[in-house]
Amino acid sequence: MTGPEPAEADRYINRELSWLAFDERVLEEAADVTTPLLERLKFAAIVASNLDEFFMVRVAGLRHAIADGDVDPDLAGLTPAQQLAAVADRAHGLVDALYRLTFGEMMPALEGYGVRLIAWSSLEASQQVALSGLFRDEILPVLTPLAIDASRPFPLLASLSLNLALLLEAAPDEIDPRLAVVQVPPGLARLVPVGEGGAFVLLEAIVSAQVALLFPGQTILESAVIRLARDSELELDDEGGRTHLELVERELRRRRRSSVMRLEISADASAPLIALLRTHLEITPDDVYVVPGPLDLRVLMGLADLPAVDAPRDPVHQPVDVLASVDQIDLFSLVEERPLLLHHPYDAFDPVVALVAQAADDPDVLAIKQTLYRTSVGSPLIACLQRAAERNKQVTVLVELTARFDEERNIQWARALEEAGAHVIYGVRGYKTHAKICLIVRRSPAGLKRYVHLGTGNYNERTARIYTDFGLITTSPAIVEDATAFFSAVTGYSDPPRLKKLVMAPTGLRRRFLRLIDRERRRAQSGQAAEIIAKMNSLIDEEIIGALYDAAADGVKIRLNVRGICALRPGVPSLSENIEVVSVVDRFLEHSRIYAFLNGGDEDVYLASADWMTRNLDKRVELMFPVEQPEHKAKVLYVLRAMFRDNVKARWLGADGVYRKREAAPGEAPFRVQTHLQEESRRLASAPRGITFQPEEHEPPDRAKGSTAPLPGSRVP
Amino acid sequence: MGASAIRLVIGEIAAGRSTRIIEEASRGVLLGRDSFSSSGAIRSETIDAAVAALENFRRIIDGYGITRVHAVATSAVREARNVDVVLDRIRHRTGIEFAIIDEAEESRLVFLAVKQALHRRAPLRGAWTLLTEVGGGSTSLTLLHQGQPNRSAIYALGGIRLRQQLGLRRLAHDVQLALLKRSIANVIDEIRVDNPLRRVTQMVAMGGDIRFAASQILEAVADDDVREVGREAFLAFCDQVERLDEEQLVERFRLPDVEAETLVPSLLIYRALLAETRARKLVISDASLRTGVLLDAAEPGGRSGAEEFEPQVLASAEALGHKYRFDRAHGRHVAVLAMRLFDAFREDHGLGGRERLLLQVAALLHDIGLYVSLRAHHKHSQYLLAASQIFGLSNDDTAIVANIARYHRRGPPQTSHLPYVALDRQDRLLVNKLAAMLRVVNALDAEHLQKVTSLRLRRHERSWILEIDGAGDLTMELLAAAARADLFADTFGQPLVIRRRSGDA
Repeated sequence: MTGPEPAEADRYINRELSWLAFDERVLEEAADVTTPLLERLKFAAIVASNLDEFFMVRVAGLRHAIADGDVDPDLAGLTPAQQLAAVADRAHGLVDALYRLTFGEMMPALEGYGVRLIAWSSLEASQQVALSGLFRDEILPVLTPLAIDASRPFPLLASLSLNLALLLEAAPDEIDPRLAVVQVPPGLARLVPVGEGGAFVLLEAIVSAQVALLFPGQTILESAVIRLARDSELELDDEGGRTHLELVERELRRRRRSSVMRLEISADASAPLIALLRTHLEITPDDVYVVPGPLDLRVLMGLADLPAVDAPRDPVHQPVDVLASVDQIDLFSLVEERPLLLHHPYDAFDPVVALVAQAADDPDVLAIKQTLYRTSVGSPLIACLQRAAERNKQVTVLVELTARFDEERNIQWARALEEAGAHVIYGVRGYKTHAKICLIVRRSPAGLKRYVHLGTGNYNERTARIYTDFGLITTSPAIVEDATAFFSAVTGYSDPPRLKKLVMAPTGLRRRFLRLIDRERRRAQSGQAAEIIAKMNSLIDEEIIGALYDAAADGVKIRLNVRGICALRPGVPSLSENIEVVSVVDRFLEHSRIYAFLNGGDEDVYLASADWMTRNLDKRVELMFPVEQPEHKAKVLYVLRAMFRDNVKARWLGADGVYRKREAAPGEAPFRVQTHLQEESRRLASAPRGITFQPEEHEPPDRAKGSTAPLPGSRVP
Repeated sequence: MGASAIRLVIGEIAAGRSTRIIEEASRGVLLGRDSFSSSGAIRSETIDAAVAALENFRRIIDGYGITRVHAVATSAVREARNVDVVLDRIRHRTGIEFAIIDEAEESRLVFLAVKQALHRRAPLRGAWTLLTEVGGGSTSLTLLHQGQPNRSAIYALGGIRLRQQLGLRRLAHDVQLALLKRSIANVIDEIRVDNPLRRVTQMVAMGGDIRFAASQILEAVADDDVREVGREAFLAFCDQVERLDEEQLVERFRLPDVEAETLVPSLLIYRALLAETRARKLVISDASLRTGVLLDAAEPGGRSGAEEFEPQVLASAEALGHKYRFDRAHGRHVAVLAMRLFDAFREDHGLGGRERLLLQVAALLHDIGLYVSLRAHHKHSQYLLAASQIFGLSNDDTAIVANIARYHRRGPPQTSHLPYVALDRQDRLLVNKLAAMLRVVNALDAEHLQKVTSLRLRRHERSWILEIDGAGDLTMELLAAAARADLFADTFGQPLVIRRRSGDA
């Protein structure tokens, strides 16, 4: 290595700021005028929803650290207090931009298609009368005004709920005006249609207009809509779910639950009202977000989903049924003949459901074992498992009820499975079971047969239509043996096994990754071509990042497709010039985890349920599996490399921590990877059988050490 | 059920196909920590842990609808003071009936597994090959010469046993290491006396700890049942691992606690053995006692007996004879004659292959007592044999062989002879029959000159006629044999007349 060593803090990007950078990329998609309008609304709603979670989880974490007196800098050299300040700065900018875009551009555009949100004051008198009637009949009965004074402390308003904060004239014997709160009923639809067509009044606007009825004989000085984000005491995972934070003592938890991370308040609120609320909620000015428009923009998702709206939207995605062209419907013999690789959402999830359904109905099937991390309510898979259990098959289901445990519907299907005779295991103590695997054991005249499905995504046929994930159905002897051993281990029947093909966290996955990275490094040191291409949702783990830096410094070419948070800083001289980081944010949520190592030309390609996050490697039960069939390997590598060809929806991370789109070279055709893969899967489905993906000719990895060739991202002015 | 874990293997046995392993499971239970402790009894909590593990195994077993379960226990249970209580509680609560197997049976089963695992590979063909498995309670060694077992023995050397005997728990890590190394070196000294380790050029290692080491050393994602680790790579790994205490091992390798207890002692033992040999690499096989049990159960017609291993048993017996400087030509000649007599006489004595092999071994080794003294050497033969391990022979088999050898000369069996009355009635009868034959054929080579070359048996109404032929004057042999036919007549109920075959016969 030449040149000065970069300062330690410059080696990494702060995790929280990287999270916000992802939301900024999503917002860019909302701002992209080439995106259909209704899709833009969805992106804006996603930003709003992500921000809610960010405050409840990440900001809460920073607050705890500060409260605990933690002044240690993170990898990027920022103390919790510095991070909190930087986060507030960035988040305020993001919220401002979100509202500017939503109400400056998108909502006006939407009005052109007849859809609009109408303020109470803009309603016709007859409409106001009709809505007042609605208020009295349906809304008023469920409202509870809460007055706040010395004897009645500020109520524990539910996190993310909409409320009216009211300032009432001081009582005759008092000086200060009084504060009161009314919760907007969460059980009623927020979009209230007015007249014919697409006009709506927001529920909180109706409540606000009529709220005086709740305070007879009192003068309301002002009212404003408010919304709190509280410490969720939950940890978020990369699949949008929440898991309970462990190791937080009960008392501590109870105390923290009340702490507020953010106050959103409508722009018409006066300074005295805001000051009063701040005092009651014990928050700083930085924590107050005064928003010029309706609160909680998740409501935009509701507008985008209105069926009758004629505004531009993406055509409904039709996954390709890879089995449609197959004559036989016996999946068992099909996969015995050749393993089946599925790429969702381009390929339909149906074969996975069909496999479990066939297993449930086949009298020769002895057992079905499956992990269910997060599945849809009313999932056909659960129905199959229940049927199988009722037919006296040994059904073992490892359930991770991570959304709040008392969530009624989750409990219901788990109980139903148990009643049908299934062996339901509610998680592995100390670890979240994040692995996605299903094992079917079947008797046949030729002996016992086993079938395994492994995936990078959950057994959820709904998200399988919008998340990109890989799945593999195989009968490979080593893999089915490993799968069997895996289930005996997670059910507590056996100690963790030594696996042949599968790699499991928390036991072996971290070491395997480090060894695979180090092997490329040693190849580079001995002058061989060496390359790592990986795709994941988040890259945070310090040890992995350190290994990548070391490998890059020794000449390994490293291409990373990281959709969300990335703490690795690419393109830093004498540190990470050989590393590029690309994020693709498009219609489908990039979710597959792929890890490919050149291995001197005999590529090792793996698919996994785990990201390169400390949590995944140490605190989860995860599985990684090799892609072995040459045609499967070619397909996965094709997809992986295509992720870096995108010049429409891909952004390159620069050494400065900023994501930038790549300018297409002169004469370069636009290439949008998700659209390309969609077309490709359709083309293959309509092609006669036998056609397979061919490995794309790719340029050999750059072997020059310390190459000064600019990364694509750095070409952007 | 071993010293540090209880392990399960499920196999599919089908006619016409090789046995296929369906599932393996294991649960760390430190039975050895109790039985190798000063009290020597397995505590109630440990029995409960074993029962809990077996109840879970039972669920796996039932999931496949399995009906045939073979369960064996080795040193930790074998040596426990309360072995009967332990096995009774396990049977009562899990329905699994364990058989205690002795060292010889253990060696045989492991060899069965190794033979199968390595059958396509060259290593076993080398001049001298060492097969070794280090367990929690003991270390088994089998030396192969040209692919055949030459010697085998089991030494009381294992991770759990060492930890208990040396009381390592409360000592500093470096003190533990020093103590472990010294104890291991002492046993290696003993092993070296019995085994020509210096001539060994191939070393095959089995056992959970060495498999773990291989998985860490080898980069390739090998799903192979057999892997090879270079000597240097292995030594380097041992150097790296021995510095870590148990907590660090768990942290670093994510090992279960039980495995962290045995890893370092086991690797030190493998390393000490490797250092004695000239092997350039370790061949690491997934073969294990449990796969041996499975293969044994898969034999058509039930469990395979010692006779299935006849070449290995005889090679091991010859190695034992060599150790005691026996007259090999005499031993072999007597064995040949004994086989002829046994075969000629088969329809009358009604004995089978196993008994034939026991006679053969006794015939080969009947004189090894001469190593101790010329006087009463038959008695010396008896106890030397009784204390020896002959590959493929169980302890019961060896006791029979020792008794046959004991009665190859001098007085017949008597109820005052303790080793003889220690046998059950069936076996005493067997000793009588086989010793009766051995006495006669041994007398036929009284001069150790191998003059008698043929034997033929003729049946008469009230006697058997044994016609012999050979080179030169056979008067001495005829006289000696006639004198030793006493036990024969007593045992089989008719006199045996021995004479030289006439020219026209």
